[in-house]
Amino acid sequence: MQSPSAASVEVGLFPKPRSKLSEPSHPHPGTARQIPEMRPSLLLSRHTPTLLRQQQQNVSRGVFGCAVAAREQTHHPHRQQLQLQLQSLAKQHHAACSSRLFSSTAAASTTSSSSTSSVNADEISHFSALASSWWDPHGPSRPLHLMNPLRHDFIADCLASSPETATPSPAAGAQTRGLRYLDVGCGGGIFAESAARRPGTHSVTAIDPSATILGVARQHARRDPTLATGTRAEPKLQYLNASIETLPLPAAPEPLFDVVTLFEVVEHVDRPAAFLDACGRFVRPGGWLVLSTIARTWTSWLTTNVLAEDILRVVPRGTHDWRKYINADELRAHFEDGAVDGGDRRRAAEWAAERPAVMGVVYVPGLGWKKVAGSEKLGNYFFAVQKRDVARDR
Amino acid sequence: MDAVVKRRAAAFVCRSCTRRSQKQLQLQLQPQLRLRRSYSSAPPGPDIYDVVCVGGGPAGLSLLTALRTNPATAHLRIALVEAQDLSKLRSWKLPLDRFSNRCSSLTPSSVLFLDKIGAWGHLERSRVQPYQEMQVWDGVTGARIEFDWASGTPPPAGTTIAYMVENLNLTSGLLRRLEELGGVSVFDNAKVEDISLGSETEELDLREWPVVDLAGGKQLSARFLVGADGANSPVRSFAGIEARGWDYDRHGVVASLQLEGEGWGGDQTKVAYQRFLPTGPVAILPLPGNLSTLVWSTTPANASLLKSLSPRDFIAMVNAAFRLGPTDLAFMHSQSSGQDLEYLWRLEHTPFDSRAVPQTVTGVQEGTIASFPLKMRHANTYVGERVALVGDAAHTIHPLAGQGLNQGQGDVQSLASTIEYAVSHGQDIGVRMSLEPYVSERYLANHVLMGVCDKLHKLYSVESGPLVSLRSFGLNAVNSFGPLKTFLMNQAAGHGTKVF
Repeated sequence: MQSPSAASVEVGLFPKPRSKLSEPSHPHPGTARQIPEMRPSLLLSRHTPTLLRQQQQNVSRGVFGCAVAAREQTHHPHRQQLQLQLQSLAKQHHAACSSRLFSSTAAASTTSSSSTSSVNADEISHFSALASSWWDPHGPSRPLHLMNPLRHDFIADCLASSPETATPSPAAGAQTRGLRYLDVGCGGGIFAESAARRPGTHSVTAIDPSATILGVARQHARRDPTLATGTRAEPKLQYLNASIETLPLPAAPEPLFDVVTLFEVVEHVDRPAAFLDACGRFVRPGGWLVLSTIARTWTSWLTTNVLAEDILRVVPRGTHDWRKYINADELRAHFEDGAVDGGDRRRAAEWAAERPAVMGVVYVPGLGWKKVAGSEKLGNYFFAVQKRDVARDR
Repeated sequence: MDAVVKRRAAAFVCRSCTRRSQKQLQLQLQPQLRLRRSYSSAPPGPDIYDVVCVGGGPAGLSLLTALRTNPATAHLRIALVEAQDLSKLRSWKLPLDRFSNRCSSLTPSSVLFLDKIGAWGHLERSRVQPYQEMQVWDGVTGARIEFDWASGTPPPAGTTIAYMVENLNLTSGLLRRLEELGGVSVFDNAKVEDISLGSETEELDLREWPVVDLAGGKQLSARFLVGADGANSPVRSFAGIEARGWDYDRHGVVASLQLEGEGWGGDQTKVAYQRFLPTGPVAILPLPGNLSTLVWSTTPANASLLKSLSPRDFIAMVNAAFRLGPTDLAFMHSQSSGQDLEYLWRLEHTPFDSRAVPQTVTGVQEGTIASFPLKMRHANTYVGERVALVGDAAHTIHPLAGQGLNQGQGDVQSLASTIEYAVSHGQDIGVRMSLEPYVSERYLANHVLMGVCDKLHKLYSVESGPLVSLRSFGLNAVNSFGPLKTFLMNQAAGHGTKVF
């Protein structure tokens, strides 16, 4: 089922409209979301389609081009350490993967079991090294701590914008007992802990591929009796050492998640399109896929790479790879799917991509994060898309 | 991963659970802890609370009332620790012709807050006196500023500058409101023996949680410990927060006074008077009817003399303080008695506008003359890990602007909304990160106000030299400049543009 052109479709998520035009339309619409057999880590550096390369070269001609080129050269290809382990884990649970909503996706993932993971080993080791300082409010994760309340505000806005989230159709697995969260790439648990503590939360399942960081998260949760799992049959907060590809879907009739969150994650994974699809499977109809990331603009390169990492050093060096940044319109195009490649628009049928929620935020040192309308085109932003509740809409 | 999958599967199998609020979870936690105790030979572990407030004064009581009133924070498990017996406060009652000597001037914004948390209605309102005008003048030069609304533009809302309230009226009202709300574990008559850090068990790591040891062996474990325990705050010492400042070498002499009438403006327009003497400011603030309260900042020697005088001589000294010159006063402070006659004789030779000073004091209520040392203290910060300070535990201010209690109310208002924000955003309310907004909202504001009051005190301690004419020029200039005066009055009243 793998075809070389599938790769370019996948990568087509990244680039800008210019690339869309010249992208080959997919010969097999049904396989639009398939993942090519290739080492994920090399996707950008070696197997980057010509268009993306062109784009990077174009960029290189700009004021910051040299630095980008330099980064490209130092991009390290050896990052397969965890890959094997994760692959075996992936095999174990493929059977458990429900295909009730995304049969073709599930099928695709079974056939490409050798490289289903979006996890990037370099990223894992980078963040594992930050483990000890994760909860230090004045440490390198301070911007994340400061951003956390905005995440809740954004989610609250999303839920409020759509009454059906509060009262989903019975077919959607009606939740009257509070919200179920799935936090993907939970890190030390900054968001997961707070979501579990929030009034109106049923439970939080938080996953991260780094065992080191999960250790930090688990230890930290013990500091709060309301989170400590103890002997409770159903803990509010559950950490699992898993990637989204290795996580089994809740077996029916256990409901899917009301809110699936990917905060500051998509810019760190290798194949965001496949990753988003994998995460999307866990969202119940009427539920929300919520993420925050950084737009790929010259301002974001200047602020997140040069200023934050190299000059001010408020963020550890190597945290961000500018080329992995994704713009809000690209995310939207991803969920509108066929709009890009004339495909079957299955994503568009599943996601209410015509009304995504977008909120741009700007970090002001000393003041913290501020919502700034339109700033999603500059740097950090939140993005959310609601899964259509077909049973309800009918 | 096998284990992970299985554990996860198990979690999903369990569907019989019901929705549990945070409160229920906490309740659930308790039996577990008790269970742990029952099979261990260790002494009973501490009770776990979300908020433990040490100190049941105005700041502590309003904080807890605010938390209990707000639906977002009402579920928090709260304990109040107070050294005094609260039953005395509960049953506090005085006839309308007798007033406690410890009164405070509450700004309209403080009153608004007290009303918002449902406490204002629980005060004995007949004992609360709003005042509408202020007369402030320089005892050396006579330069004067009249804060009467007529001279400036009309005030934006209401004409009340502030409300005179007995501290006991406020605290007993707050206590009634808090008990009406219920849900607070009250430990009164309880001495704090020690505050230490918690320990680690198999399930929980409470090594950063303060544990308050009460006399009698009771232990309270606090997610968030609030020090509302006054100027010598044990909570502040526990948190290792230093309070810097200085003593003014001044005492505040207080008394409940009776005046010849209801005041020059009658019942409708009550006036507060303050005169800056070189030894410190003296103020008479209106209470209902013909009563007033005195706050006289003066040297410790003068204070002990004033306390030793007969009522007649004391009254003469108070009247003299608003009418005679600094030299006359200095002489009268050197007499051990006989101020009464001395005053009458000297008054004959001192020209003054009787309508510009308070009506003549005719009596002082027995047992109300008291004094306390004046200090300026400011804690280095208001928060530590799982600790915050409010009110006098955080700052002690010179009483010349009547801002001490209002600062405490401002702290409480800010801290309560900080907690509300933290709860609604799922933050752990005790951690420093959650408490940062409280510090940034209050610290500088308090610091500026304290600095202003401190500088005012120092400015008016000078008896001669260029500074005296300068300050008089300044006061007169402000007085003749309507917009600035209106601005200052709005500041004092706590409305208008917020500067402090």
